Amino acid sequence: MRAFRATLRGVLAVSCLLALFVPASAAVRPPKMNAEVATLPNGLTIVLLEDHSTPIVHAQIWYHVGSKDERPGRTGFAHLFEHLMFQGSKNVQPDAHSSMISGVGGRVNAYTTDDVTVFWETVPAQYLPLILWLEADRMASLRIDTHTFERERQVVKEERRMRVDNQPYGSLPEVIYDQAFTVHPYKHTTIGSMADLDAASVEDVRDFYRTFYVPGNATIALVGDFDPKQAMALMTRYLGAVPGSERTISRDHPKEPEQKQERRVSLTRNWPLPVVVVAYHVTFDGHPDSYPLRIASKVLSDGQSSRIYRALVYDRGLALTAFGGGNILEHPNLFFAVAIVQPGRSPEEAEKALIAELDRLRNQPVTEHDLQRVKNQFARDYIIGRESNQQKAMQLAHAIVIHQGDLSTADGEFDIFMNTTAADVQRVARTYFTPQNRTVLTILPGQAQQ
Amino acid sequence: MHTRVFRPVLAASLVAWLWPSLLSGQAAKWPSSSPPRPLAAREVKFPPYEAKTLPNGMTVAVVVHNEQPAVSLRMILRAGVAQDPAGKFGVASMVATLLDQGTTTRTAQQVADTIDSAGGDLETGVGRDLSYANVTIMKDGLGLGMNLLADVVRRPAFAQEELDRQRQQVVAALRVSYQDPVYVASVVFDRLVYGFHPYGFPGNGTPASVEKLTRDDLVEFHRRYYAPNNCILAVVGDLTIDEAMAAVTGAFGDWARQEIPVDPAVEPPKPTQRVVVVDKPDAVQTEIRMGQIGIPRKDDDYMAVDLAIRILGGEGANRLHRVLRTERGLTYGVSADAETLKRSGEFEAQTNTRSEATGEVLRLMVDEFSRLRRDGVNDGELADAKAYLTGNFPLTIETPNDIATQILNVLFYDLPIKELQTFRQRVNAVSVDDIARVAVRYVQPDRLSIVLVGNSAAFLDQLKRVGFKRVEVVRLSDLDLTTVDFKRKDLADGRTIARQP
Repeated sequence: MRAFRATLRGVLAVSCLLALFVPASAAVRPPKMNAEVATLPNGLTIVLLEDHSTPIVHAQIWYHVGSKDERPGRTGFAHLFEHLMFQGSKNVQPDAHSSMISGVGGRVNAYTTDDVTVFWETVPAQYLPLILWLEADRMASLRIDTHTFERERQVVKEERRMRVDNQPYGSLPEVIYDQAFTVHPYKHTTIGSMADLDAASVEDVRDFYRTFYVPGNATIALVGDFDPKQAMALMTRYLGAVPGSERTISRDHPKEPEQKQERRVSLTRNWPLPVVVVAYHVTFDGHPDSYPLRIASKVLSDGQSSRIYRALVYDRGLALTAFGGGNILEHPNLFFAVAIVQPGRSPEEAEKALIAELDRLRNQPVTEHDLQRVKNQFARDYIIGRESNQQKAMQLAHAIVIHQGDLSTADGEFDIFMNTTAADVQRVARTYFTPQNRTVLTILPGQAQQ
Repeated sequence: MHTRVFRPVLAASLVAWLWPSLLSGQAAKWPSSSPPRPLAAREVKFPPYEAKTLPNGMTVAVVVHNEQPAVSLRMILRAGVAQDPAGKFGVASMVATLLDQGTTTRTAQQVADTIDSAGGDLETGVGRDLSYANVTIMKDGLGLGMNLLADVVRRPAFAQEELDRQRQQVVAALRVSYQDPVYVASVVFDRLVYGFHPYGFPGNGTPASVEKLTRDDLVEFHRRYYAPNNCILAVVGDLTIDEAMAAVTGAFGDWARQEIPVDPAVEPPKPTQRVVVVDKPDAVQTEIRMGQIGIPRKDDDYMAVDLAIRILGGEGANRLHRVLRTERGLTYGVSADAETLKRSGEFEAQTNTRSEATGEVLRLMVDEFSRLRRDGVNDGELADAKAYLTGNFPLTIETPNDIATQILNVLFYDLPIKELQTFRQRVNAVSVDDIARVAVRYVQPDRLSIVLVGNSAAFLDQLKRVGFKRVEVVRLSDLDLTTVDFKRKDLADGRTIARQP
C-alpha cells in the first residue's frame, strides 16, 4: 500500500514536470580547448594541451596515410604496415614497444582508417620521455626481417577472418563501398583483400615507410599532466632528431566521377536476415555542406526518437535494426542508411521506408523541435566526447590533419552546428539525396555470389 | 618497477647482432640509445567522493568533477540474469529492455523524446548479478534526468504492446546471434562451466524462452527486486554534493523500502573435462573458449588469482599472446580473464584461429594452463604483472565515469571502502608463492571446459592427433542451451537427455 501511494505522488510530480518541459536551446557550452601548436624544423607538427586533473599523459601520432593511399593490388597495406610499426626498430626489439608501455602500467594501440594511421599511448605522467623516445625510434629506424613480416601478415589475415569473413554482416561495408564507388580508392575498405595481403612484399614496406612515415607527414597531439616547456624540450630532443624527408607525397587520387543514374544491385550472402542499403555520394569533411549533412544524420538516426528508428523499427516493425548517416571523410564519401529486415517483412518495404525518410528531408524542412533536439545532442557529443585526454587529442589531431592545419576547427565547428538552419538541411538534402545519386543494395540470405 | 623498462632493451641489444635487418630505416646514422629515465613521479590519489545511505536504504555515491558541464547518473540494482526464475530465461533482460519503453506517466515515445530533446542519453541493461539504468545529461538538465531515471526505474508500464514489440526484436536478434561464432562460443562455454547453476544460462534467454515470457513475469521480477534498499546510485559530474543529494532525495526519497527475497544457495558444478564442438560448416575460423570454475569477487584469493590469470593471458605478461601470436602468428588476439562474480566465477581463455590451426592452438593453450599449475610464475613475470596493475591505476580514474565505476564496484561487491586507497599495497603484497598456491588450488588442466565453434570437418582429426579423444559434436542448427548435451530434445537421438528445469 505504501508503495502504491508513493507511486501516485510520483505520477503527479512527473506530469507537472512534463507540462513545464519544453526542449531548451543548448545553454551549456563545451569549454574551449586551449591547445598550442608548433612545427619542428624537420616538419613534425606538435599540438600540446595541458590537463592536470589526473597524473597521466596521452600522446597520439597521426601519419597522414590511410587505405586510400594504397596502390592498386595492395589493398590492406596501410593497416598491415601499422602492425609492422610494433615489430622493432634500431633500439627496440620486436613487440618491446608494447611491453615497455604495459610494463609501466600504460596502454598502447594503433588503428588505420581510410585517411590516416594513428598510434597512441597513455602512461603515468612521469613516462612522457619513454613514449616520445619510442615514437622517435620507430619513425627513424624501423627494422623488419622476413620472418617478422611473414608472421604479421598471418596475424592480419586472422584479423580479417575475425572481423569480416567469420561474422554475420562482417563484410557489409566492403559490399557497400565496392558497389557505390568505381575508381576512387574508397572503393576498398581498410582491411584489404586476402590476395593483396599475400602479394605485399618487403619492397613495398620499404617504399611505404620512406614515403609516408616521415616527420613532415606526422602530427603528434599530447594531452595531459605535463609542463609545456619540458614537453617541448623532450619533443625536440627525441622527435626533433628524426631527419626530415626530401620526398614529396603524391596526393593524386583518382577522382570519383559524378554518378548520373541510380544503381540497383541485388546480391546473396550467407547472412541470417536480408539487408537493404541506400547510399548517396556526398561531400568531404570541412565543406560547408558537411555540417548540415551531419545534422541530417542525427535527425535520421540519433536516439529512439530519431526518424529512421521510429519509422522502421518502432512504428512498423520492418527492421531488426536500422540506422543512417554520413561517413564524412577527407574526400567525398557516402551518406548511407541500412536496415536489417525483420523476418516476415520484405526488403522492398524496408527500402521504400528508408528512401521515404531521405525524401522527407528533401521535401520538408526539419521541424524546429527536431532541429533543437539535434543541436542539443551535438552539444552532448562535444562535451561527452572531450572527457578523456585521448578524446581531446583525437579532436585536436583531426583538426590539424584533416582540416589542413586549422586547429581552430576543433572548437569552432560547434558554432557552425549551432547556427545551422532547417533551410540549410533541406538544401543539402536536395543537393545530395537524389535518385540519380543513389545506390540501392539488397542482400538476401543465400550462398555468396556476385 | 623501473627495471621492467630496461630489461627488454638489454635483450634487444644482444638480438641485434643476430638479426638480419631487411629494412633499414630512413636515418642510416640513427644513434644507439636506451630508454630514457622517467621524470619525477606524481602522487596518485583517489579523487574525493561522498557515499550516503538514504532512510529507505538506497545507497548514493557522489563524485564532483567540474571539467565538463555534464552529469551522469548510474544506477545498479542488485538483481540480474542470475535471478531469472527457473526456466524463464530472459526475464531480467526483458525487464531492463522495457524500462525505457513506457512508464505509468509517459509512453515509450515520450520517454525517448524527453531524453533526446534534452541532449541526454538513457540506457538500460543487465549483467549476471545486476541490472542497470544510466542517464547522461547536461548539467542544466539534472532535475529532468533524475526524474526520468526515477520514472523508468520505479514506474515502468510493461505495456503488452511494448512487450510484444521488444519480444519480436529479441527473437530476431537471437536469430542473428546464433549465426555469430563469438556469441555461440560464449553462451555454450557459460553453460559448460556453470552447468545448470543460474550463471550458466544466456542473459537474453533463448528464442523459446523469450516467446513464452508474459507481462506478469516482468511485473513480478520488478516487484521483487526493484527497491531502494536493493540499489546503488552514483551521481557524477559538474554539480555540488548538496545539489546531487537534493535531486536524489526529490526523485527517490519516497520510494518505499521492502524485503528482498534471498536466492537459494546453488553450488556450481565441480570442474570436469568436456570438449564441445559446435559445427558451423561455413566458418573460416574456429572460435575457442577454454576454462573452468574460479572464485567469487569477495574471495580472499582474489588478488593472487587475478595476477595469475593475467600472467596467463592479460596485460603486462600474457604468456598465451606470446606463444600464439608473437611466436607463431596463429591468431589476431588471445586473452585470459578471471571473471569474479557475486556467488562464483570462472577463468576463461579465448581466441580464434584459422580452421587448419585449431588443433595446434588448442594444444598450446592447454599446455599453458598446465605450465601455470606445474611451474607457477617467475619473479620477472610477477613483477611485470604488478607493474602493469599498479602503474595502470591512475589511468582507471581519469574520467568521471571511470571514478564512478571504481566506487560502484566496491559498493556492489560489499568490499571494504578503504580498498580504493590501498590498491597498490594489495597488489604488491602478492608473492610468487601465493601464485603457486592458487595455481595448484584452482587450475586443473585435466578438467577444462572447452568449446570450439567452427567447421568441424576441417579440424576434428587434428583434435585426435593432439590428444583430445572424447569430443562432443553438435550441429549449430541443433543447438539447445537448456539440455545436458546441447542438442534439441526433439531430435531423434537416443542419447539426448530430457530438458532440465
